Amino acid sequence: MSTVGTPYRGKSGQWAFISHRVSGFLVFMFLLLHVVDVSLVQDKHLYNEVHAVYGNVVLRVFEVGLLFALVFHALNGLRIILIDFFPEAVRRDKTLFAVVVFITLAACIPGGYVILRPFINGHF
Amino acid sequence: MAIRAPEKEPTPPPSLRAQRPRPNFETWSWFFMRISGLVLLFLALIHFTLTHIMHDVVKTNYNFVAHRWHNLGWRIFDWSLLALALAHGLNGLRLIVDDYVRRPGRRAATKATLYMLTGVLFAYGTMVIFTFPRA
Repeated sequence: MSTVGTPYRGKSGQWAFISHRVSGFLVFMFLLLHVVDVSLVQDKHLYNEVHAVYGNVVLRVFEVGLLFALVFHALNGLRIILIDFFPEAVRRDKTLFAVVVFITLAACIPGGYVILRPFINGHF
Repeated sequence: MAIRAPEKEPTPPPSLRAQRPRPNFETWSWFFMRISGLVLLFLALIHFTLTHIMHDVVKTNYNFVAHRWHNLGWRIFDWSLLALALAHGLNGLRLIVDDYVRRPGRRAATKATLYMLTGVLFAYGTMVIFTFPRA
């Protein structure tokens, strides 16, 4: 570690750091599973049978969680890139993190509603 | 990552540059995460929007995949997403393992499992995408 300092220090930054790790870890775990379930497409009936399980409400909620993790990780990643290439932006770190959280919620609440809509309408 | 020194310091840029350590593997790892992350932002969000928002997950059955993969462009899109997401995630997990798995033996074993699992899934996924019969 150099003595120059690190942008990854402080209050909102600490939360951003841990959320970035947790969301990245969860998305990667899902990705490993997802490669396996899509690969079942080699067998039409097996794929369709396994795939139908994703329509279940439990997995729909899981899918909404994936959406939140994915969008948060993507936007927070943008915040990290911004600070890395424009270090002055670290002074506005709290605002930037608030913007990340706000856009994540603004995108994922309607998105989550669309995913859960078939269940809400009674088709499950 | 080093950030720029305080603005009021009169040091001219060339000497700042000289202070930087020589680029090593971690430098390229850092750079790769930024570039792949930017590309994945588009690939992953387009993929999620198409297969989970625009089409309900129940509708993305065998026929949906067959129809999509009729187009070579989508196969290349899906393969790029597979390759970049696995590489980006693998590198992220490598850093997480370095941080939390402290004992050398256990760390090596965890990484070996991680690399093997990711390698196998990458090979398997690639095979599935490009050997799927064209409808």
